Amino acid sequence: MPTYTDMTKCDGCGECVDICPSDIMHIDPIYRRAYNIEPNFCWECYSCVKACPQHAIDVRGYSDFAPLGHKVRVLREKEKGSISWKIRYRDGRLKEFTFPIRTTPWGSIKPPSDYEAPDINGLTSPMLAHEPAALKVETLPTLPQSGM
Amino acid sequence: MFNSNPFTLLTEFLPPLVMQVYVVLMIFAVAIGTAFDLYHKQSAEFFALRRRQSNAAAQRRLGVGEIASLAIRTVGTEVATSGEFCKWKRRVSHLLMSYGFVIYLITTIVMVFVYPTAAHTPIILTAPWNIGVLMVLIGGCWFFFFLRVNVAYEGHSPFHLMRADLFVGSLLASVAFGLLWHFAQTVHNGATAMVLFGLYIFFTTLLFVSVPWSKFAHMFYKPMAAFQKRVEEANGSSDLPRPAASSNIRR
Repeated sequence: MPTYTDMTKCDGCGECVDICPSDIMHIDPIYRRAYNIEPNFCWECYSCVKACPQHAIDVRGYSDFAPLGHKVRVLREKEKGSISWKIRYRDGRLKEFTFPIRTTPWGSIKPPSDYEAPDINGLTSPMLAHEPAALKVETLPTLPQSGM
Repeated sequence: MFNSNPFTLLTEFLPPLVMQVYVVLMIFAVAIGTAFDLYHKQSAEFFALRRRQSNAAAQRRLGVGEIASLAIRTVGTEVATSGEFCKWKRRVSHLLMSYGFVIYLITTIVMVFVYPTAAHTPIILTAPWNIGVLMVLIGGCWFFFFLRVNVAYEGHSPFHLMRADLFVGSLLASVAFGLLWHFAQTVHNGATAMVLFGLYIFFTTLLFVSVPWSKFAHMFYKPMAAFQKRVEEANGSSDLPRPAASSNIRR
């Protein structure tokens, strides 16, 4: 059950094109609005739905939580770190759920490209790049050397 | 250049009446094109259906004052300041283009109808005509070469053209050739001015008669869509979930 775009709400910002892991959200050559070019290949990850700042992308949910004839809408509030879902069933019932998606402010996590290139001597260490500082701890527990 | 009327020199070989009839024809072309666009894409039917669905699902009725307030907020935010754009660069470029186009359009109409043969046109008209054109060119070129979503996100070349570019492409070409024609007139280069005038008229005509195939009509239906969204939020018929009651962010 793939995503689809309401073209009257879309402003053609390209966020969904950028985030789609299947690269199937593209820009319509006539209206310059986003659309799903290959619904059969949609993973239904809902990344585009959550990322759309205009709430222009709608989904048809999996049949195990919402049988056919339903409507699913999603609201991501990055300032609150939450995502809310509203499901309207075909018999008119409404259900709403809110989930936390993060506890740190939006944009506060440093992307890997912002770190310095790791030192080649680090290959001899069991630590991964930028550990332990990147994990915000002083040391990581290690296995005892004796008896190995 | 900023204190001369580009249409006055034109009257040496073109009667003012011809220019005025051309402007009226273009206004009719936009009106007919928009009506055809509404009919062909069934936009009016779509919004009427949305309004009926919204009224049926409304949790409370809105008063006339509330509806008027929503309309004023739509005009103040979405129309006047392009508030629907979530990215500031697109918003600024759109504002430059839209206000530049409005200034250019109004000054053109006044100069063609009121001062077609005047020896001296007030600088309050001639300067804004040039400024409007420059605003469209700055905002339009910024958008066309850097901000177009297919260029910025799909990796298309900045020179890639598709049908969605018909509106912005013809607008940019029209004002660019208009400015070049005006410049050629001020430096008394008659032959070049004639060629540039031909290109200016070609792209201006293309801009206004291509409404059914271009994105020109968006300036009429986008405010309608924004107003409908505000009404749905206000009367409780919006299908979006309610905002979360609390924040999960730990600072």
